[in-house]
Order: sequence, then structure tokens, then C-alpha cells
Amino acid sequence: MIAPKPPLPARALDDRVFAGVAAATLLAFAAVALWPGLSGYRVNIIGQLACFALLAVALDLIWGYAGILSLGHGLFFAIGGYVAGMHLLEHSVATTGVTPDIVQFMGWTALPAWWAPLGSFPVALLAAIAVSFGAAFAFGWVSFRSRVGGVYFAIITQALVYVAMLLMFRNDTGFGGNNGMTGFQMIFGVPFQSPSVATGLALASLGVLGVTLVGCRLLMVGRFGRLLVATRDDEIRLRSLGYDTLRLKLAVWCLSAVIAAIAGLLYVPQVGIINPRVLSPELSLEIAVWCAIGGRGRLAGAVIGAVLVNAIKFSLSATLPELWPFVLSGLVILVALIFPNGLLDIGRWRPALLSRPGALRPQDAAS
Amino acid sequence: MWWRALFAGLFGAILTCGAAAAAFDRAAIASQICGGAAGMTDAANAMLAGLVDATTDDARWAAALSGAAIDRSLKCGPQDPAIVAPEGAVNAATLSPVEGSVGTSPLLSLKNRPLFETVRAAATLRSGAAVNDRGAALTALERRAGSLRPEFFEKAAEAETDAGLRSRILAVGQAALLNSPDMSKRIAAIERIAATPDRRSLTRIEALKSDPAYQTDPGFRMAVDGGVASIGRWLSVSNALNVFYNGLSIASILFMASAGLAIIFGLMGVINLAQGEFIMIGAYVAYAVQEALRAVAPGLIDWYLIAAIPVVFLATAGIGVALEATIVRRLYTRPLMTLLATWAVSLLLVNLMRVTVGTQNLQFVTPWYISGGRLLMGDFIVTWNRLFAIVFAGLTLGLTWFVLKRTPLGLNIRAVTQNRAMAGCVGVATRRVDMMAFGLGSGLAGLAGLALCPIYNVNPQMGSNFIVDSFMVVVLGGVGTLAGTAFAALGVGQINVLIEPLYGAVAAKVIVLLMIIAFLQWRPEGLYAVKGRRK
Amino acid sequence: MTVAVLVEGLTVEFGRFRAIDDLSLAIDYGEVRAVIGPNGAGKTTLLDVISGVSRARAGRVLFDERLELTGRSESAIARSGVRRKFQKPSVFEALSVRDNVEIGLGGAGDPASHEKVAAILETVGLSEHADRLASELAHGQKQWLEIAMVVVSEPRVLMLDEPVAGLTDEETERTAALIRRLRTPDRAIVVVEHDMDFVEAIADRVTVLHEGRTLFEGSMARARADARVVDVYLGR
Ligand SMILES: Nc1ncnc2c1ncn2[C@@H]1O[C@H](COP(=O)(O)OP(=O)(O)OP(=O)(O)O)[C@@H](O)[C@H]1O
Ligand SMILES: [Mg+2]
Repeated sequence: MIAPKPPLPARALDDRVFAGVAAATLLAFAAVALWPGLSGYRVNIIGQLACFALLAVALDLIWGYAGILSLGHGLFFAIGGYVAGMHLLEHSVATTGVTPDIVQFMGWTALPAWWAPLGSFPVALLAAIAVSFGAAFAFGWVSFRSRVGGVYFAIITQALVYVAMLLMFRNDTGFGGNNGMTGFQMIFGVPFQSPSVATGLALASLGVLGVTLVGCRLLMVGRFGRLLVATRDDEIRLRSLGYDTLRLKLAVWCLSAVIAAIAGLLYVPQVGIINPRVLSPELSLEIAVWCAIGGRGRLAGAVIGAVLVNAIKFSLSATLPELWPFVLSGLVILVALIFPNGLLDIGRWRPALLSRPGALRPQDAAS
Repeated sequence: MWWRALFAGLFGAILTCGAAAAAFDRAAIASQICGGAAGMTDAANAMLAGLVDATTDDARWAAALSGAAIDRSLKCGPQDPAIVAPEGAVNAATLSPVEGSVGTSPLLSLKNRPLFETVRAAATLRSGAAVNDRGAALTALERRAGSLRPEFFEKAAEAETDAGLRSRILAVGQAALLNSPDMSKRIAAIERIAATPDRRSLTRIEALKSDPAYQTDPGFRMAVDGGVASIGRWLSVSNALNVFYNGLSIASILFMASAGLAIIFGLMGVINLAQGEFIMIGAYVAYAVQEALRAVAPGLIDWYLIAAIPVVFLATAGIGVALEATIVRRLYTRPLMTLLATWAVSLLLVNLMRVTVGTQNLQFVTPWYISGGRLLMGDFIVTWNRLFAIVFAGLTLGLTWFVLKRTPLGLNIRAVTQNRAMAGCVGVATRRVDMMAFGLGSGLAGLAGLALCPIYNVNPQMGSNFIVDSFMVVVLGGVGTLAGTAFAALGVGQINVLIEPLYGAVAAKVIVLLMIIAFLQWRPEGLYAVKGRRK
Repeated sequence: MTVAVLVEGLTVEFGRFRAIDDLSLAIDYGEVRAVIGPNGAGKTTLLDVISGVSRARAGRVLFDERLELTGRSESAIARSGVRRKFQKPSVFEALSVRDNVEIGLGGAGDPASHEKVAAILETVGLSEHADRLASELAHGQKQWLEIAMVVVSEPRVLMLDEPVAGLTDEETERTAALIRRLRTPDRAIVVVEHDMDFVEAIADRVTVLHEGRTLFEGSMARARADARVVDVYLGR
């Protein structure tokens, strides 16, 4: 008789899944770089998926590990996106000399003078990092200092991104209003029509995703990650052991914001437009949904969730776009009720519906 | 002492009649008109003076004569002056037909034309057959009220049969008094006008600042300045009232939208992101009731708002209970997951509504009892539709308060809110309480939708417009207290209307959010924190 | 001898309710002080204020006769050497037993600290569970784990809120032995407990709190004899 295999301990499973996701990222990178048969459309989709995965990783850092749910991460994504938009416009004007549409519909004569430095990519990158970091730091500091957390924090971040959306919709705010920024011509001196642009952007996105994944993984299995988990489990306890949880939370919050901004920076050139709709509360909620579906508190889950959900979305939007909201809401409810720790739990599935309510895993308290 | 009044009235009537008999020397006036510019001025002034006490017949004559002078159908020739009309010529003094009159028409000088126009208007006011004619005449007089004796308007008002026109005549009369040569009457008129403080009175009195008397007569100047100041004060009061009233109506909607949210949040620590969709469903159910009434009892359609109250409450409460029992309860210890799950439900509801009913705005009947409004003072108008929302919210507040404080369900809700474990131990069926409270909260949201439908666009997406604002109210008000929610709703509503006219709607939202973040620095638990332990 | 914890005129209010009312107290180094009293007497609240979790309305808390604790943050107080175990077992459930204790030590992955962690795990008898998740421990083991977390940093003032609540007699006995072992001349130990036999076994002195005020202070034997203490707390 063969003895049944003992169930894999949770950690070992996580390790394997992470290795799998990392390998898949590498594989995708290799495919985009080396496989000539891949159509430009596919390459573009892969690049976008990588950006979404990056965004999900950013949220997982704070929600999955530190137990702080942000429903406003679209704000940081948009910061990166708008900086990318300004950079591309400046760069396009500098290289082609053609006046972009935004100048016309904003009633300007030229792009605002203060955008000029953003024409250089390093400056734009620095600006995206600095602005997202600054915004996250300011908001995080006031919130964490007054110990706003849990549902309150989620709600306030949602209000934050909503208000930001309203602001950006106004023309007077000065970023293209309703239309946003589009009509980019050149990137790094290469016209957008060139097929190498899509490939390059996808490679960059996959590369950043891979590096971020490995870096965050190292950070999370180390002392910092354990302290974050401790903050999530019992913040007062941790403080009473002599730790400054404000700093811990602020650190991971700002890190997460910067990663989200970089995701936005990479995303905008791939879709060719940035407008206030990325600031809609729905998008920010969707990021949380990706993490929840893939499984929180293990970076691989965030990547899987983001890729899975968006892959379904892309394929449906081509065929049956009206169906998408129903599929999405169904998925969320299914995961919430049956796989409380995400689809990664399918491997060791004990139907939560059948088990005693209240018999929950430790992470649940912060979910 | 009604008979005394009657006597006085009779006496007055007799006296006026007596005076009227001697009102005009028609022939003299008619020939004066033919006597050059100076004569015309005299004639007009004589008519103006006489019109105060004129009979209807005299007034009709004056109207005819001045009208003829204006449109140049008056002929001054060798015979008596005559008025030539297409139907034939009449004697200008007697208005009786004459044969073959010849002559020239006197020309009205620039100075005399307005004078004659005034005469014609004043005379028409006294003699016009149709209310509309008299009203038009009064409108023409309004700008020249100063050239008429104040008593003219008093008399005209007495004779007037139409109540609306009568009060207008009196008001114009006030303006006439403003220019009365008698300084004490002028000052009295200023004070009387200042007693109805609106923008028109203000411009009228402010115009007096350019009157020569303003420079020379200190008493007059004081009256004018005092009038301007007092109207200004009242106007700012009425402005403030307007702002407050608007804020109150916004706050009412906000309160209803967030009361349920706050109760549920206090009880279960769960934010229901589908709350906005319950508002939407409430409005849709109200629409269904309206359409049902239209089909069954079209005569009663105005009453759909009232008839829908129980239907809306029960329908949304039922959906809420179902949501609690199928989803929320199973996520009980995981508030953040509940957030996502309820968001999924809201997505589902919006899209179901889109697919089944469509995305267009619903058309609602505006019942008579919520259309229009009433000018209370100055510029302050109480509009009935807003009042409806306010009263409705007030009643809801009262009822919810009653349910929470005076019924067994309320006692249980409060017990579980304060200490779930303890309440469970002493035999409260906490799960049932959760379910009922969720139903109550959803029902309240549905009622908010009902109150909204006369003043707001109703479509599947409408819920999302409220949800962020009502979250802010819950965060600000603190957990699970009705009073906190009510005050927070008032605060957010008022701040919104205060800031909006100054800096725009978006700025209002930004400022409200910043204020809430700042406020949480000071009181992280909201206005009214429920006392509880952390460990 | 310096006083380890000096509480002067302490008042704590929750809304209009006074949980602690003008309380003064001195705890010396080298002693084990038991704080007892009926439910709601304010025992936990007292520990809360000393450890910075709650704020006092009036009065002050002095540590080591030099450091004012009132107004400091929990982490600052903990770093200065005042640590407490909470009434409700508070461990980091998603971390391993070893991680929990290491966090209590304040990190530092050097060999010396590994030894320290191993030693304390041995003392509380959790050595063979070191790699399990804290959530998998039994209630008593969680109590001990939390004691290990606060003890491993060798605090000068150690406060234990109901360390034997819910433990078996045998476990209670072992806890008493542990506390006796932790008692050193340069450490003050404050124990809040309802188990009188346990208190008798470990405490040098007891303070009886009632409605936020000191009702009695002295040895356990004298407390048992005191009419008022018997009246409000111990029962006849
Ligand atoms: N954060 C708080 N908010 C409101 N009231 C509180 C708070 N903390 C404690 N209390 C109240 O203060 C009083 C004292 O509480 P405390 O926990 O100090 O009592 P205790 O002596 O530890 O009781 P027990 O033996 O039951 O643990 C109690 O009535 C309690 O309800
Ligand atoms: Mg206690």
C-alpha cells in the first residue's frame, strides 16, 4: 500500500509557487526577447500584464504583509503615469517639433515651461519616484501617526483617489483634464510605430517585475518582513516590545507607492494614453481584487491574481465586453466565500463554506 | 366694531364721489392741449392732479385724450378740439361724435411726451377694463412713480378689484412716496420699504443717494443710510439662511445614505460598499411604484412618493438581509474581504440594472406637494422638494432613533455593538441581530433613494456619487452612533455648500477630505467614539 | 535602594468614568509585587498607563527614579526596559515560535542572541516547538511564549497581566517556578492575578486595588486577614 503523501507545509508550498512565478517571468522575458513569431499585439499585452503584476506586488506588500489595505493605489500608479505622459510629450516635441494636441485643447501656446526638465528620462524617473514617495510619506505619516488603520484607512484612501480623480478631470488643474495626455510620437528617440518599441517596453516591464519580485521576496522573508507580519498580527504587542511601528508602516507604504508609480511609468507608453480614469476608485479596488484572488501575503499570489484577472479581462473585452463585470464580481464573491486565502489555496482546499465559521487562519484578522 | 368701519368706509366713498365731480374741467384741458407746449404741460399736470380723485368715467376720458395726444389723432382746428379715429371723429371734451373736424395735430415735445405717457398709464390704471391692461399700465408707471402723488396709488389700490394687482399698486405707491415733496413722508416711505428687505428695495433706496436731498438734508441721509444698512443686514441673513437650507437638504440625503452604513459598521465593523446601490435600488423601486400607480390608479399618481415608502423599505431591507445571510455573515471576522465582496455585489447590481432596465435616467412625476416653494424673507426661498427631503430625513432620524433606543431589536443592536462576546453570552442571538441590522441599514439606504428621486438623476450609476461622501460621514461621525452620523452629515453638507460657491465643487470635496484627515489627527475614532477596550 | 516604579497621584478616565483615582504606588527592585482586586478595579489600566498604552489624566509614573514614563510612547518605554505581558495572550500568530522570541529580543542575528533565544525557549519548555507557527500552540503555551517574548530582553521592570489565567494546576506551578527564577535584585516584577494561591506562592507584597484606589498594601497573609479586603474581594 502507498501511504498518502502528507500535505505540503504552507511555507514550502509558497516557496514552490514563488519559484514557479519567478520562472514564468523569466520565460516570458525570454519569449519576448527571442521568439520572433510573437505578434506585436501579444507582446504589448504581456508588457501590460507585467505592469499590472507589478502594481499587485506593490499592494501585496502593504495589504498582504502589513495588513494595511489601500483602496487608493491608483493614485501612485497615476503619478507614475502622468510623469510618463509629460516626459513623452516633451520628448516628442523635442525630437519631432510637432505641437501635440494637448497644447491646442488646453488653450496653451506651448507645453508648460516647468515640464521641460521632464523631457530627460532620468529626471522623469526621479520625479515619479520623488512625487510618489512624497505623497505617500505625507499621507502615510498623518494617517499612521493618528493610528488610522483597517477599514478607516481603506475608506480614506478611496476618498483620496476619488478626490484626485475629480481634480484631474478639471481642465484648470493643468494636466489635460478629461482628455488626459496622448499622441506620443517618440520614445528614446524611436518612433512609436517601430515594433521594437513594444518589445523594449515589454522587456523593461518584465525585467522590472522580476527584479522587484526577487528583491521584495528577499526583504519579506527577512527581518523586515517578519516585523511587518508582526505589525499585522498585533500592532500594540509589537510596540510594547520596543518597536516603532510608525516607521515600519511608513517604510513599507512608501516602498509600495514607489513601486506602483514605476508600474504606471512603464504602463503609459504601452497604452499610449493617460487620463483621469486610472484614478477611478474602481481601478484601485480592482488591484485589491487581484491580490485577493491570487492570495495575499505571498508575492506570487499577487502576480498570479493580476495576470489571471487581466487575461480574462483582455480576452472578454475582445468578445463579450458586457460580460466582464459579471465575471469579475462572480470571481470576487467566489474567492471571498470559498478560497479565503486566494486561488493558491486550491491545492489544499478545505471548503470554507463547510468548515465552522470562525475557524480561520491567522492572517484572516487583517483581511 | 364692524359697523364703525362700515360707516367710515361709506363716508369716505361719499366724499370721494363729491370730490370726483369736480375733478376735471374737460373743455379747458382739451383746449389747453391745443395751446402750445406750455399749455400741454399744464394740461398734463392738471390731469395728473385730477386723476387722484377721478371717477372711472373721468379716467377713461383722460386716457383717451392723452392717448390721442401721444399718437397724434388729436386735431386742433378752428372748432373745438377733436379726436380723429378710423371709426369717426369725437369731441375731445365730451367724446361725443362730431362731423368733419379739421386741424393740425399738436406735436409733443421731448419733455411732454413722458408726461403724457404717465397720464395715459395712470388713467388706464384707474379705468382699464381688463386686469392685464391695468397691470401693464402699472408696469409703465413703476419707473415714473415719483411724478405721481402718493395718494393716487392709495386711491387706485382702494378701487382695484384684483388682489394681486392691488398689492403691486401699493408697493409702487411706496416708491411714489419716496419722491413725495413732504420730507417726513419720504422718510416714512424709506422705512416702510426697508421693512421688506429684498434686492429690489435695496436698489430703490440706494438710488436715493444721488438725490440732492441726500447731500443737504441730514435726516434724509440718515434714513437712506439706515435703510440700506438694514436691508443689507437682512439680505445677508437671508443669504445665510439660503446656504444653510441648501446645506441642510444635502445633509439630509447624506444622513440617510450613511445612517445605515454607520449602524452596520458599528455593529459588525464592516463597510458595505454596496450601500450606494441600495440607494439606487430604492429609487428604482419608487419608480416601479409610480408606474404601478399610473397603471392601476392614475388619479393617485401624485401620491407615489408616499405609497412607495413601505415598499421601498421592505424591498431594500429584504435584499440587505439576503446579502447578509449569503455573503457578509461568512466573512464575519474579515472586514477587508467584506469590503471587496460587497464591492463585487455593487458591481453586480449596477450591471444587472443596466442590462435589465437600461442606462437612461428614469422619468419621475413631480407631485404638486413638492413643486414650487415659498419666499419667506429677503431672498430666502423654501422650496418644497428640498423641504421634503429634510422632513423625510428628520422623520427617518426620529424613527431610527426610536428603533435603536426603544425596541428590543435596538437594545440588542446596541448590546452587540458594545460587546459582541458578552451579548452572545447572555443569550442575544448575535447572528440574527446582525441580519436584522443589516436589513435596517439597507432599508435606510433605500429610503434615501426614495427621497432623492424628485431632486436627482436616477440611473444605475447614481449610487457611486454618494458612496464616498457617505463614507466620509461615517469616518467623521464615528462608529455606530446616530448622533455622530447626524452631526457629521450636517457638517459635511454645510461645508460643501459653503465652499462650493467660493471655490467650486471639486475644491469643496478636496477641502472636506483634508479637514477629515486633519480631524482624525485630533480624534482618530471620529466624533463620537463608542467606549470600548483595545485589549 | 532605588525605587523601580514610582506612581504618583495617578488618575485615568474613560469618558466620565474614573478607572484609576489618584493612585500612588512604589515598587522596589528585587521584589515581586502582586496587584489584585475585583474585576474592573483598574489593574490592567494601571499596567496600560505604565507601559504607555493608555494616557493618564493626572499624575506621573517614574521609572528608576529618573525617567518620567508618562507621555512617552509604548516603544520608548519598552526600550527603556519596562515590558509587559498582556491579559489576552498576544503573540504573532503567523510567525514561528522562534521568530516571536527573536522579535522580543529586538532582532540581531548574532550567535549570542541565538543562544539567548534557545535558552529562554528551553526555560519555558517550548524548545521542541520552536519552528511551529505560534497559532498552532495551545493556550498555555501561548501564555508562556508571550512571557518568553518579554523576558528575553531582560527587562528591569517586568509586568505580567494574569499569566496563569486558563492554565492547568501543573502549568500554574511551572509558571510560579519560572517567576521565582526571574526574580533578581535588579529587576522588579509586577504580577496581576486572580489566583490567590499562585499569588501567595510568588508575591513578596500585594497591593489590593478597588475602584481605582489602593485598598491595602502588605503581605498576602495580612491581606487575607484584612476585613475590607475580604469584604470587597476575597469573600468570606
Ligand atoms: N479603553 C477603555 N475604554 C473604556 N473603559 C475602559 C477602558 N479600559 C478599561 N476600562 C474600564 O475601566 C475599568 C477598569 O478596567 P481594568 O481592565 O483596569 O480592570 P481590571 O482590574 O484589569 O479587571 P479584570 O480583573 O477584569 O481584568 C473597567 O470598568 C473597564 O470597563
Ligand atoms: Mg485586567
